Amino acid sequence: MERVLETKNLCLGYNKVIYKEITTFADRGEIVAVVGPNGIGKSTLLKSISGIQSFRSGEILIDGKEISSYSHNRLAEKVSFVPSQSPRARNLSLFDMVSSGCYNRTNWLGQVGSNEMEFIYHTLERVGLTDFAGRDSSRLSDGEFQRATIARALVQESKIIFLDEPTAFLDIENKLTITRLLKEIAHEEARCVIFSTHDLQLAIKHCDRIWIMGRDSFSHGNPQDLIEKGAFDTMFKDSPLKFDRNLYTFV
Amino acid sequence: MKVKTGYIREYSVISAALGLLILLNLILGSVIIPPRDIFASLAGLSDLSFVNEILWDFRIPKAITALLAGVALSVCGLQMQTLFKNPLADPFILGISSGAGLGVALFVMGFSAFGISLSGSFALNLGVAASAWVGAFGVTLLILLVSSRLRDNTSLLIFGIMLGSVASALITLLQYFSSSSSLKAFVVWTMGSFSGLTSAQIWIMSMLIVPGLILSVYNIKELNILLQGEAYAKSLGVNLEHTRRRILVATTLLAGSVTAFCGPIGFIGIAVPHIARMFFRNADHKVLIPATALLGAAIMVFTDTVAQLPGQSGVIPINTVSALIGVPIILIIILKSKFI
Repeated sequence: MERVLETKNLCLGYNKVIYKEITTFADRGEIVAVVGPNGIGKSTLLKSISGIQSFRSGEILIDGKEISSYSHNRLAEKVSFVPSQSPRARNLSLFDMVSSGCYNRTNWLGQVGSNEMEFIYHTLERVGLTDFAGRDSSRLSDGEFQRATIARALVQESKIIFLDEPTAFLDIENKLTITRLLKEIAHEEARCVIFSTHDLQLAIKHCDRIWIMGRDSFSHGNPQDLIEKGAFDTMFKDSPLKFDRNLYTFV
Repeated sequence: MKVKTGYIREYSVISAALGLLILLNLILGSVIIPPRDIFASLAGLSDLSFVNEILWDFRIPKAITALLAGVALSVCGLQMQTLFKNPLADPFILGISSGAGLGVALFVMGFSAFGISLSGSFALNLGVAASAWVGAFGVTLLILLVSSRLRDNTSLLIFGIMLGSVASALITLLQYFSSSSSLKAFVVWTMGSFSGLTSAQIWIMSMLIVPGLILSVYNIKELNILLQGEAYAKSLGVNLEHTRRRILVATTLLAGSVTAFCGPIGFIGIAVPHIARMFFRNADHKVLIPATALLGAAIMVFTDTVAQLPGQSGVIPINTVSALIGVPIILIIILKSKFI
């Protein structure tokens, strides 16, 4: 297993500490879910380890190298990020939207080379949007648009893909489709997919590893071990909610 | 479904319309010159000296100025709208016209305060242009200095608007203390005009606008990414600070120069990018930049033609016409589209 991401005593925040002491890792070919209560700092964690936001202290190693040692372009080759709610640009065709992932490989006008075209169409097929290439991306349904943002990240060809709540606002069918797609991407293309979610059942069922941002402490491991250790109970400490080991959810 | 990439037909239609509008612009004015005489004069075959004089000394320079101004303001407005993801952004949103206005106000009213009268119109014109440009550039410089300390483009927008308000306040203060004649000179500048530019001035103006346009074309790649949000742009490896700076410099070269020579011309910079989007239904700046440039030129030449319509009895200020043409267009856009 290739260790693509590692954090050591990572402390999140800018002026004030949001969350501290995150020491964890993720391997190539793994799908990892980040769970925790609202406002605990899941987005901040994802943005910090993808280099979009600065952090207070600690270390982030991407492919064994300190994140700050990468230039803008080099980091984009390793890491891609799918924001929780990407703005929709009116009249931007789906093809143009997805091909923007090639940013670092296009010419000065941003034109996509003919060798990339096939790859982009192949990626659209992978996420099930083949027939939509010429459509206005802003008019896609929420589920289709989310798949488009994933295609955009795939086109970037990075080893690690971070997604901030990719299944929020989606119905149960789309939630499942997206989660399965992410799992396929991780396992079949040997990438590392890390996403935040509130859907524990799907996370436990489909993910290789879960990072739990509890109220007091951070824990990580594979879902079954975490259940046995009772790690999920740290999520909503001091609340009447209890984790049900059979239903994989809080009751 | 195939992705549409070529727009040759659309571009040729707009270019043809632009050609006709320029011809109309040359025909109309205090004296109507028949197209026959215009073509003869353009070919150097006309012996009507008054036609040659009117055409070459007045109407052609004015048409060129209007064309340059239209191209510059529209291309600039498009970049501001994309950078700030705000459909109401215009070339002057960052306070460039207020900065230019402050420069002109200081020049026009400052001189009169020292008892120096500015009678020579050439010196006055060039002085106004230079001080306006210095004012516009000063504002941009201030924004560039703080831009690296600003978190995102929204903070940049707020900073620019505040800077503009300070400049406007200072202008009001100057107006309060200035004589009526210098006040009039300032107010006339704010009305906007394409006439009276010497060929030397037109050269200077194009020397500033052409690099601005080249830089704008160079901005296309990043503008297209900015459409999809700053967080995504950052994750793609776009250097947001450099991009912001490049767009700002292009804006100053384009809008600052037009404002310096023609005054603050409103509405075109907001309206034209929307018209281009309606026409082409494509968000790609590779399509939109040439489209706004052509449409901007055509609409500005048309605006100038309308301003000349009173014929013998004078000229309507450009800003009056551009508002009368621009506002309905903006309203139609708002009414016709669910979201911009």
